[in-house]
Amino acid sequence: MSVELYFFQPLGTNSGRVFLALLEKGVPILERELDGLTFEHLRPEYLAINPRGQVPTLVHDGRPLTEGAPICEYIDEAFRGPPLRPADLDERCNMRRWCRYLDVDLGRAVMMIHWNRIVPAFVGARSPAEVQHLIARVPDPDRQRAWRRAYLQETAPEELTESRRRIDAGSERIEKALARTAWLAGRSFSLADIDLLSFYAFLAKWTPEIVNERSTPRTMEWIERMEERPAVRELRARSRMPQRPPMLERMAATARG
Amino acid sequence: MLDLFHAEPTGDSARVLIVLEEKGLEFRGHYVDVLALEQYRPPLVELAPGGDLPVLVRDGVASAGASAVCELLEEAYPERPLMPAGARERWCMRVWQKHVDDIFASAVSQLAWQAYGERSLPRPARAELEGALARIVPSEERPRWQTALAGYAEEQLARAQARVEETVARIEAALAEAEWLAGPMFSLADVAVFAYFNYLPALGGARLSESEAPRALAWLRAVSERPAVRSALARGRSRDPFRTATPAPEQIRWG
Repeated sequence: MSVELYFFQPLGTNSGRVFLALLEKGVPILERELDGLTFEHLRPEYLAINPRGQVPTLVHDGRPLTEGAPICEYIDEAFRGPPLRPADLDERCNMRRWCRYLDVDLGRAVMMIHWNRIVPAFVGARSPAEVQHLIARVPDPDRQRAWRRAYLQETAPEELTESRRRIDAGSERIEKALARTAWLAGRSFSLADIDLLSFYAFLAKWTPEIVNERSTPRTMEWIERMEERPAVRELRARSRMPQRPPMLERMAATARG
Repeated sequence: MLDLFHAEPTGDSARVLIVLEEKGLEFRGHYVDVLALEQYRPPLVELAPGGDLPVLVRDGVASAGASAVCELLEEAYPERPLMPAGARERWCMRVWQKHVDDIFASAVSQLAWQAYGERSLPRPARAELEGALARIVPSEERPRWQTALAGYAEEQLARAQARVEETVARIEAALAEAEWLAGPMFSLADVAVFAYFNYLPALGGARLSESEAPRALAWLRAVSERPAVRSALARGRSRDPFRTATPAPEQIRWG
Protein backbone atom coordinates (compact mmCIF):
# COMPACT_ATOMS: atom_id res chain seq x y z
CA MET A 1 0.00 0.00 0.00
CA SER A 2 1.61 3.24 -1.09
CA VAL A 3 0.53 6.84 -0.99
CA GLU A 4 1.28 9.86 -3.15
CA LEU A 5 2.72 12.86 -1.39
CA TYR A 6 2.85 16.36 -2.86
CA PHE A 7 5.51 18.37 -1.07
CA PHE A 8 8.26 20.99 -1.24
CA GLN A 9 12.00 20.46 -0.96
CA PRO A 10 13.85 20.81 1.32
CA LEU A 11 11.87 18.54 3.60
CA GLY A 12 11.08 20.86 6.51
CA THR A 13 8.00 22.26 8.33
CA ASN A 14 4.68 20.92 7.03
CA SER A 15 6.15 18.84 4.17
CA GLY A 16 8.78 17.45 6.54
CA ARG A 17 6.41 16.47 9.34
CA VAL A 18 4.15 14.43 7.05
CA PHE A 19 7.09 12.87 5.16
CA LEU A 20 8.67 11.85 8.46
CA ALA A 21 5.41 10.46 9.86
CA LEU A 22 5.13 8.24 6.75
CA LEU A 23 8.76 7.11 7.07
CA GLU A 24 8.36 6.34 10.78
CA LYS A 25 5.29 4.31 9.96
CA GLY A 26 7.04 2.50 7.08
CA VAL A 27 4.58 3.60 4.40
CA PRO A 28 6.08 3.63 0.87
CA ILE A 29 5.86 7.12 -0.66
CA LEU A 30 5.32 8.00 -4.31
CA GLU A 31 7.05 11.38 -4.37
CA ARG A 32 5.26 14.21 -6.17
CA GLU A 33 7.60 17.11 -5.61
CA LEU A 34 6.33 20.59 -6.37
CA ASP A 35 8.72 23.38 -7.30
CA GLY A 36 8.04 26.31 -5.01
CA LEU A 37 10.40 28.53 -7.02
CA THR A 38 8.15 28.29 -10.08
CA PHE A 39 4.97 28.40 -7.95
CA GLU A 40 3.83 24.97 -9.09
CA HIS A 41 1.58 24.79 -6.03
CA LEU A 42 -0.59 27.55 -7.51
CA ARG A 43 -1.28 25.73 -10.79
CA PRO A 44 -4.90 24.72 -11.45
CA GLU A 45 -4.01 20.99 -11.45
CA TYR A 46 -2.73 21.26 -7.90
CA LEU A 47 -5.45 23.66 -6.69
CA ALA A 48 -7.94 21.03 -7.81
CA ILE A 49 -6.68 18.69 -5.09
CA ASN A 50 -5.65 21.38 -2.57
CA PRO A 51 -7.82 24.50 -3.00
CA ARG A 52 -5.76 26.52 -0.48
CA GLY A 53 -2.63 25.97 -2.58
CA GLN A 54 -0.64 24.67 0.38
CA VAL A 55 1.71 21.74 0.81
CA PRO A 56 1.63 18.93 1.62
CA THR A 57 -1.25 16.92 0.17
CA LEU A 58 -1.43 13.21 0.80
CA VAL A 59 -3.36 11.11 -1.71
CA HIS A 60 -4.52 7.78 -0.31
CA ASP A 61 -7.02 5.47 -2.06
CA GLY A 62 -7.23 8.06 -4.82
CA ARG A 63 -8.58 10.82 -2.56
CA PRO A 64 -6.66 13.83 -1.24
CA LEU A 65 -6.05 14.77 2.39
CA THR A 66 -4.82 18.25 3.37
CA GLU A 67 -3.67 20.10 6.54
CA GLY A 68 -0.49 18.85 8.22
CA ALA A 69 -1.73 18.08 11.74
CA PRO A 70 -4.88 16.16 10.72
CA ILE A 71 -2.85 14.28 8.06
CA CYS A 72 -0.34 13.13 10.69
CA GLU A 73 -3.09 11.70 12.92
CA TYR A 74 -4.62 10.09 9.84
CA ILE A 75 -1.32 8.38 9.02
CA ASP A 76 -1.18 6.91 12.52
CA GLU A 77 -4.77 5.67 12.28
CA ALA A 78 -4.85 4.39 8.70
CA PHE A 79 -1.57 2.43 8.54
CA ARG A 80 0.06 -0.37 10.47
CA GLY A 81 3.47 0.21 11.98
CA PRO A 82 4.79 1.61 15.25
CA PRO A 83 2.33 3.98 16.99
CA LEU A 84 3.03 7.71 16.65
CA ARG A 85 0.70 8.71 19.51
CA PRO A 86 1.16 7.80 23.19
CA ALA A 87 -1.08 5.10 24.63
CA ASP A 88 -1.44 7.12 27.84
CA LEU A 89 -4.39 9.48 27.31
CA ASP A 90 -2.99 12.41 29.28
CA GLU A 91 0.24 12.19 27.28
CA ARG A 92 -1.78 12.04 24.11
CA CYS A 93 -3.67 15.20 25.12
CA ASN A 94 -0.32 16.81 25.91
CA MET A 95 0.95 15.74 22.48
CA ARG A 96 -1.95 17.49 20.75
CA ARG A 97 -1.30 20.67 22.73
CA TRP A 98 2.38 20.61 21.73
CA CYS A 99 1.60 19.90 18.07
CA ARG A 100 -0.74 22.85 17.93
CA TYR A 101 1.66 25.16 19.75
CA LEU A 102 4.59 24.19 17.50
CA ASP A 103 2.55 24.60 14.33
CA VAL A 104 0.51 27.77 14.87
CA ASP A 105 2.38 29.69 17.57
CA LEU A 106 6.11 28.98 17.83
CA GLY A 107 6.34 27.73 14.23
CA ARG A 108 4.75 30.93 12.91
CA ALA A 109 7.12 33.11 14.93
CA VAL A 110 10.02 31.27 13.27
CA MET A 111 8.29 31.52 9.89
CA MET A 112 7.71 35.28 10.20
CA ILE A 113 11.40 35.94 10.77
CA HIS A 114 12.48 33.44 8.13
CA TRP A 115 10.13 34.67 5.40
CA ASN A 116 11.10 38.26 5.98
CA ARG A 117 14.69 37.20 5.44
CA ILE A 118 14.29 34.97 2.38
CA VAL A 119 11.18 35.93 0.37
CA PRO A 120 12.81 38.84 -1.50
CA ALA A 121 15.62 36.47 -2.53
CA PHE A 122 13.23 33.60 -3.16
CA VAL A 123 11.24 35.44 -5.82
CA GLY A 124 14.59 36.17 -7.49
CA ALA A 125 14.89 38.05 -10.73
CA ARG A 126 11.16 38.55 -11.36
CA SER A 127 9.85 42.09 -11.85
CA PRO A 128 7.83 43.60 -8.96
CA ALA A 129 4.68 43.51 -11.11
CA GLU A 130 5.18 39.83 -11.81
CA VAL A 131 5.73 39.06 -8.13
CA GLN A 132 2.59 40.98 -7.11
CA HIS A 133 0.67 39.06 -9.76
CA LEU A 134 1.93 35.74 -8.37
CA ILE A 135 1.12 36.76 -4.79
CA ALA A 136 -2.41 37.75 -5.82
CA ARG A 137 -2.94 34.13 -6.88
CA VAL A 138 -2.33 32.73 -3.37
CA PRO A 139 -5.85 31.50 -2.43
CA ASP A 140 -5.72 31.86 1.34
CA PRO A 141 -6.09 35.56 2.32
CA ASP A 142 -3.89 35.33 5.43
CA ARG A 143 -1.16 33.46 3.58
CA GLN A 144 -1.37 36.01 0.77
CA ARG A 145 -0.97 38.83 3.27
CA ALA A 146 2.11 37.16 4.77
CA TRP A 147 3.68 36.82 1.32
CA ARG A 148 3.02 40.48 0.51
CA ARG A 149 4.34 41.73 3.83
CA ALA A 150 7.52 39.70 3.50
CA TYR A 151 8.06 40.70 -0.13
CA LEU A 152 7.53 44.41 0.52
CA GLN A 153 9.42 44.14 3.83
CA GLU A 154 6.40 45.65 5.58
CA THR A 155 6.47 43.63 8.80
CA ALA A 156 6.75 46.05 11.71
CA PRO A 157 10.03 45.73 13.70
CA GLU A 158 7.97 45.29 16.92
CA GLU A 159 6.33 42.24 15.40
CA LEU A 160 9.67 40.71 14.54
CA THR A 161 10.88 41.46 18.07
CA GLU A 162 7.77 39.78 19.46
CA SER A 163 8.48 36.71 17.32
CA ARG A 164 12.02 36.59 18.66
CA ARG A 165 10.67 36.85 22.23
CA ARG A 166 8.34 33.93 21.55
CA ILE A 167 11.21 31.85 20.18
CA ASP A 168 13.22 32.52 23.34
CA ALA A 169 10.23 31.71 25.59
CA GLY A 170 9.46 28.61 23.52
CA SER A 171 13.06 27.40 23.74
CA GLU A 172 12.86 27.60 27.52
CA ARG A 173 9.56 25.77 27.59
CA ILE A 174 10.88 22.97 25.33
CA GLU A 175 14.06 22.65 27.38
CA LYS A 176 11.99 22.27 30.57
CA ALA A 177 9.76 19.61 29.02
CA LEU A 178 12.75 17.62 27.76
CA ALA A 179 14.34 17.83 31.22
CA ARG A 180 11.28 16.10 32.66
CA THR A 181 10.78 13.35 30.07
CA ALA A 182 12.78 11.74 27.27
CA TRP A 183 10.31 12.80 24.58
CA LEU A 184 8.41 16.04 24.23
CA ALA A 185 4.92 14.85 25.20
CA GLY A 186 6.07 12.30 27.79
CA ARG A 187 7.65 8.87 27.98
CA SER A 188 6.94 7.84 24.41
CA PHE A 189 8.08 9.13 21.05
CA SER A 190 5.15 10.85 19.31
CA LEU A 191 3.96 13.28 16.66
CA ALA A 192 5.02 16.06 19.05
CA ASP A 193 8.66 15.02 18.49
CA ILE A 194 8.11 14.90 14.73
CA ASP A 195 6.74 18.45 14.89
CA LEU A 196 9.51 19.69 17.15
CA LEU A 197 12.03 18.43 14.61
CA SER A 198 10.08 19.92 11.70
CA PHE A 199 9.23 23.36 13.09
CA TYR A 200 12.05 24.10 15.51
CA ALA A 201 15.13 21.85 15.65
CA PHE A 202 16.80 23.48 12.62
CA LEU A 203 17.36 26.56 14.78
CA ALA A 204 20.37 24.70 16.23
CA LYS A 205 22.01 25.34 12.84
CA TRP A 206 20.31 28.60 11.89
CA THR A 207 20.52 30.47 15.17
CA PRO A 208 23.03 28.61 17.34
CA GLU A 209 22.94 31.59 19.71
CA ILE A 210 19.48 30.34 20.80
CA VAL A 211 19.78 26.56 20.57
CA ASN A 212 23.17 25.30 21.75
CA GLU A 213 24.95 22.97 24.20
CA ARG A 214 25.16 25.59 26.91
CA SER A 215 21.69 27.15 27.02
CA THR A 216 19.60 24.20 25.78
CA PRO A 217 21.59 21.02 26.55
CA ARG A 218 18.52 18.75 26.79
CA THR A 219 17.26 19.94 23.44
CA MET A 220 20.68 19.29 21.86
CA GLU A 221 20.72 15.80 23.33
CA TRP A 222 17.19 15.21 22.02
CA ILE A 223 18.25 16.40 18.53
CA GLU A 224 21.12 13.90 18.58
CA ARG A 225 18.74 11.08 19.52
CA MET A 226 16.31 12.14 16.79
CA GLU A 227 19.02 12.29 14.12
CA GLU A 228 19.96 8.68 14.92
CA ARG A 229 16.48 7.38 14.17
CA PRO A 230 16.45 5.40 10.91
CA ALA A 231 13.42 7.35 9.64
CA VAL A 232 15.13 10.69 10.30
CA ARG A 233 18.30 9.49 8.51
CA GLU A 234 16.13 8.49 5.58
CA LEU A 235 14.44 11.92 5.67
CA ARG A 236 17.85 13.63 5.59
CA ALA A 237 18.96 11.42 2.70
CA ARG A 238 15.88 12.41 0.71
CA SER A 239 15.99 16.13 1.59
CA ARG A 240 17.97 17.79 -1.16
CA MET A 241 19.06 21.17 0.12
CA PRO A 242 21.17 21.63 3.22
CA GLN A 243 19.11 23.68 5.66
CA ARG A 244 21.78 26.14 6.64
CA PRO A 245 22.00 29.89 6.81
CA PRO A 246 25.06 30.22 4.52
CA MET A 247 22.91 28.99 1.66
CA LEU A 248 20.26 31.57 2.54
CA GLU A 249 22.85 34.28 2.77
CA ARG A 250 24.15 33.37 -0.70
CA MET A 251 20.60 33.48 -2.04
CA ALA A 252 20.07 36.89 -0.48
CA ALA A 253 23.38 38.15 -1.87
CA THR A 254 22.49 36.91 -5.36
CA ALA A 255 19.15 38.69 -5.14
CA ARG A 256 20.75 41.95 -4.02
CA GLY A 257 22.76 41.62 -7.12
CA MET B 1 -13.59 12.68 39.26
CA LEU B 2 -14.08 15.41 36.64
CA ASP B 3 -13.97 19.14 37.29
CA LEU B 4 -14.48 21.74 34.61
CA PHE B 5 -13.54 25.37 35.01
CA HIS B 6 -15.51 27.23 32.38
CA ALA B 7 -16.77 30.65 31.34
CA GLU B 8 -20.21 31.48 29.92
CA PRO B 9 -21.38 28.58 27.71
CA THR B 10 -20.23 30.07 24.42
CA GLY B 11 -17.15 29.30 22.33
CA ASP B 12 -14.57 26.90 23.75
CA SER B 13 -16.34 26.60 27.13
CA ALA B 14 -19.51 25.53 25.30
CA ARG B 15 -17.55 22.92 23.33
CA VAL B 16 -16.37 21.03 26.39
CA LEU B 17 -19.67 21.48 28.31
CA ILE B 18 -21.58 20.02 25.35
CA VAL B 19 -19.24 17.01 25.12
CA LEU B 20 -19.62 16.30 28.87
CA GLU B 21 -23.41 16.54 28.59
CA GLU B 22 -23.62 14.48 25.38
CA LYS B 23 -21.69 11.72 27.08
CA GLY B 24 -23.80 11.98 30.21
CA LEU B 25 -20.70 12.34 32.38
CA GLU B 26 -20.90 13.52 35.96
CA PHE B 27 -18.72 16.53 36.61
CA ARG B 28 -18.39 19.52 38.90
CA GLY B 29 -18.68 22.78 36.98
CA HIS B 30 -16.84 25.86 38.27
CA TYR B 31 -17.88 29.14 36.75
CA VAL B 32 -15.03 31.53 35.94
CA ASP B 33 -15.79 35.22 35.43
CA VAL B 34 -13.50 36.18 32.55
CA LEU B 35 -14.16 39.93 32.70
CA ALA B 36 -13.23 39.84 36.40
CA LEU B 37 -9.94 38.21 35.25
CA GLU B 38 -10.53 35.18 37.48
CA GLN B 39 -8.68 32.99 34.95
CA TYR B 40 -5.42 34.74 35.87
CA ARG B 41 -5.85 34.29 39.63
CA PRO B 42 -5.59 31.27 41.91
CA PRO B 43 -6.65 28.51 41.64
CA LEU B 44 -6.86 28.80 37.84
CA VAL B 45 -3.47 30.36 37.31
CA GLU B 46 -1.84 27.28 38.84
CA LEU B 47 -3.80 24.95 36.55
CA ALA B 48 -3.36 26.89 33.28
CA PRO B 49 -0.82 29.71 33.57
CA GLY B 50 -1.77 31.29 30.23
CA GLY B 51 -5.35 32.03 31.29
CA ASP B 52 -6.75 29.36 28.96
CA LEU B 53 -10.37 28.33 29.40
CA PRO B 54 -11.96 25.91 29.82
CA VAL B 55 -9.70 23.76 31.99
CA LEU B 56 -10.58 20.14 32.64
CA VAL B 57 -9.21 18.45 35.75
CA ARG B 58 -9.40 14.67 35.45
CA ASP B 59 -8.01 12.58 38.31
CA GLY B 60 -5.81 15.47 39.35
CA VAL B 61 -4.41 16.21 35.88
CA ALA B 62 -5.32 19.59 34.37
CA SER B 63 -5.76 19.93 30.59
CA ALA B 64 -6.62 22.93 28.43
CA GLY B 65 -7.17 23.57 24.72
CA ALA B 66 -10.71 22.76 23.59
CA SER B 67 -9.84 20.38 20.72
CA ALA B 68 -7.33 18.40 22.78
CA VAL B 69 -9.72 18.23 25.77
CA CYS B 70 -12.69 17.14 23.63
CA GLU B 71 -10.59 14.35 22.10
CA LEU B 72 -9.33 13.36 25.54
CA LEU B 73 -12.92 13.01 26.78
CA GLU B 74 -13.78 10.98 23.68
CA GLU B 75 -10.84 8.62 24.19
CA ALA B 76 -11.34 8.27 27.95
CA TYR B 77 -15.13 7.81 27.74
CA PRO B 78 -15.82 6.20 24.36
CA GLU B 79 -19.45 5.34 25.16
CA ARG B 80 -21.89 7.55 23.23
CA PRO B 81 -19.21 8.27 20.62
CA LEU B 82 -18.70 11.74 19.19
CA MET B 83 -15.92 10.64 16.86
CA PRO B 84 -16.51 8.67 13.65
CA ALA B 85 -14.89 5.24 13.40
CA GLY B 86 -13.16 5.64 10.02
CA ALA B 87 -9.75 7.31 9.66
CA ARG B 88 -10.90 9.51 6.77
CA GLU B 89 -13.99 10.73 8.64
CA ARG B 90 -11.81 11.45 11.66
CA TRP B 91 -9.44 13.41 9.46
CA CYS B 92 -12.42 15.42 8.22
CA MET B 93 -13.55 16.02 11.81
CA ARG B 94 -10.08 17.23 12.79
CA VAL B 95 -9.88 19.58 9.81
CA TRP B 96 -13.10 21.23 11.06
CA GLN B 97 -11.76 21.48 14.60
CA LYS B 98 -8.57 23.03 13.24
CA HIS B 99 -10.53 25.52 11.16
CA VAL B 100 -12.40 26.58 14.30
CA ASP B 101 -9.19 26.84 16.36
CA ASP B 102 -7.19 28.63 13.65
CA ILE B 103 -9.75 30.94 12.10
CA PHE B 104 -13.43 30.73 13.00
CA ALA B 105 -13.12 31.17 16.80
CA SER B 106 -11.11 34.32 16.51
CA ALA B 107 -13.22 35.80 13.67
CA VAL B 108 -16.56 35.23 15.44
CA SER B 109 -15.19 36.39 18.79
CA GLN B 110 -13.95 39.66 17.30
CA LEU B 111 -17.36 40.40 15.80
CA ALA B 112 -19.12 39.38 19.02
CA TRP B 113 -16.86 41.56 21.16
CA GLN B 114 -17.43 44.50 18.87
CA ALA B 115 -21.21 43.99 19.03
CA TYR B 116 -21.57 43.19 22.74
CA GLY B 117 -18.33 43.27 24.65
CA GLU B 118 -17.96 47.00 24.87
CA ARG B 119 -21.63 47.44 25.73
CA SER B 120 -21.64 44.67 28.32
CA LEU B 121 -18.91 46.47 30.21
CA PRO B 122 -20.16 49.32 32.41
CA ARG B 123 -17.86 52.32 32.56
CA PRO B 124 -16.54 51.83 36.13
CA ALA B 125 -15.88 48.16 35.36
CA ARG B 126 -13.97 49.20 32.29
CA ALA B 127 -11.74 51.60 34.21
CA GLU B 128 -11.15 48.94 36.84
CA LEU B 129 -10.31 46.38 34.19
CA GLU B 130 -7.81 48.68 32.53
CA GLY B 131 -6.17 49.26 35.88
CA ALA B 132 -6.08 45.56 36.66
CA LEU B 133 -4.46 44.57 33.35
CA ALA B 134 -0.95 45.56 34.38
CA ARG B 135 -1.29 44.02 37.84
CA ILE B 136 -2.97 40.72 37.04
CA VAL B 137 -2.72 39.77 33.39
CA PRO B 138 0.61 38.14 32.34
CA SER B 139 2.55 40.49 30.06
CA GLU B 140 2.25 38.26 27.01
CA GLU B 141 -1.55 38.22 27.35
CA ARG B 142 -1.90 41.98 27.79
CA PRO B 143 -1.79 43.05 24.12
CA ARG B 144 -4.81 40.85 23.37
CA TRP B 145 -6.81 42.67 26.07
CA GLN B 146 -5.56 46.10 25.13
CA THR B 147 -6.47 45.57 21.48
CA ALA B 148 -9.98 44.46 22.43
CA LEU B 149 -10.51 47.36 24.86
CA ALA B 150 -9.36 49.83 22.21
CA GLY B 151 -11.84 48.25 19.74
CA TYR B 152 -10.78 46.17 16.74
CA ALA B 153 -9.75 48.11 13.63
CA GLU B 154 -12.18 48.36 10.71
CA GLU B 155 -9.83 46.40 8.45
CA GLN B 156 -9.57 43.67 11.08
CA LEU B 157 -13.36 43.39 11.40
CA ALA B 158 -13.77 43.25 7.63
CA ARG B 159 -11.33 40.34 7.54
CA ALA B 160 -13.23 38.61 10.33
CA GLN B 161 -16.52 39.10 8.49
CA ALA B 162 -15.03 37.65 5.29
CA ARG B 163 -13.74 34.63 7.23
CA VAL B 164 -17.18 34.07 8.75
CA GLU B 165 -18.85 34.24 5.35
CA GLU B 166 -16.33 31.84 3.88
CA THR B 167 -16.99 29.42 6.76
CA VAL B 168 -20.77 29.61 6.33
CA ALA B 169 -20.31 28.73 2.64
CA ARG B 170 -18.09 25.83 3.61
CA ILE B 171 -20.68 24.55 6.11
CA GLU B 172 -23.40 24.86 3.50
CA ALA B 173 -21.29 22.82 1.04
CA ALA B 174 -20.48 20.13 3.62
CA LEU B 175 -24.13 19.72 4.59
CA ALA B 176 -25.05 19.17 0.95
CA GLU B 177 -22.91 16.01 1.13
CA ALA B 178 -23.89 14.59 4.54
CA GLU B 179 -26.24 15.12 7.46
CA TRP B 180 -23.48 16.32 9.80
CA LEU B 181 -20.24 18.18 9.11
CA ALA B 182 -17.91 15.17 9.21
CA GLY B 183 -20.34 12.59 7.78
CA PRO B 184 -23.39 10.64 8.87
CA MET B 185 -22.86 11.07 12.64
CA PHE B 186 -22.96 14.06 14.98
CA SER B 187 -19.33 14.59 15.99
CA LEU B 188 -16.82 16.90 17.66
CA ALA B 189 -16.76 18.82 14.36
CA ASP B 190 -20.40 19.83 14.83
CA VAL B 191 -19.74 20.69 18.47
CA ALA B 192 -16.78 22.92 17.61
CA VAL B 193 -18.45 24.82 14.79
CA PHE B 194 -21.79 25.14 16.63
CA ALA B 195 -20.20 26.71 19.71
CA TYR B 196 -19.20 29.74 17.60
CA PHE B 197 -21.79 29.58 14.84
CA ASN B 198 -24.49 29.93 17.49
CA TYR B 199 -23.46 33.57 17.86
CA LEU B 200 -24.08 34.45 14.24
CA PRO B 201 -27.87 34.87 14.00
CA ALA B 202 -27.77 37.36 16.89
CA LEU B 203 -24.88 39.25 15.31
CA GLY B 204 -26.76 39.82 12.07
CA GLY B 205 -24.56 40.39 9.08
CA ALA B 206 -24.79 39.08 5.57
CA ARG B 207 -25.17 35.59 4.16
CA LEU B 208 -27.15 33.94 6.88
CA SER B 209 -30.59 34.06 5.32
CA GLU B 210 -32.85 31.08 4.64
CA SER B 211 -32.22 31.56 0.94
CA GLU B 212 -28.43 31.70 1.13
CA ALA B 213 -27.70 29.24 3.94
CA PRO B 214 -30.74 26.97 4.29
CA ARG B 215 -28.80 23.86 5.29
CA ALA B 216 -26.58 25.67 7.78
CA LEU B 217 -29.62 27.19 9.50
CA ALA B 218 -31.46 23.86 9.64
CA TRP B 219 -28.31 22.27 11.09
CA LEU B 220 -28.06 25.07 13.66
CA ARG B 221 -31.64 24.40 14.79
CA ALA B 222 -31.04 20.64 14.93
CA VAL B 223 -27.95 21.07 17.12
CA SER B 224 -29.66 23.65 19.38
CA GLU B 225 -32.53 21.26 20.04
CA ARG B 226 -30.35 18.42 21.29
CA PRO B 227 -31.09 17.91 25.01
CA ALA B 228 -27.39 17.82 25.89
CA VAL B 229 -26.78 21.10 24.10
CA ARG B 230 -29.69 22.71 25.93
CA SER B 231 -28.35 21.55 29.31
CA ALA B 232 -24.87 22.81 28.45
CA LEU B 233 -26.13 26.23 27.39
CA ALA B 234 -28.24 26.50 30.56
CA ARG B 235 -25.08 26.58 32.66
CA GLY B 236 -24.41 30.26 32.13
CA ARG B 237 -24.94 32.98 34.70
CA SER B 238 -26.04 35.66 32.34
CA ARG B 239 -29.58 35.56 31.01
CA ASP B 240 -28.10 36.17 27.57
CA PRO B 241 -24.62 34.65 27.50
CA PHE B 242 -23.93 36.30 24.15
CA ARG B 243 -23.95 39.67 25.87
CA THR B 244 -20.99 38.76 27.99
CA ALA B 245 -18.60 38.53 25.06
CA THR B 246 -14.92 38.45 25.96
CA PRO B 247 -11.79 39.50 24.00
CA ALA B 248 -11.11 37.24 21.04
CA PRO B 249 -8.43 34.54 21.19
CA GLU B 250 -5.26 35.50 19.38
CA GLN B 251 -5.34 35.24 15.63
CA ILE B 252 -2.56 33.31 13.98
CA ARG B 253 0.16 35.97 13.62
CA TRP B 254 1.65 34.85 10.34
CA GLY B 255 -0.34 33.32 7.39
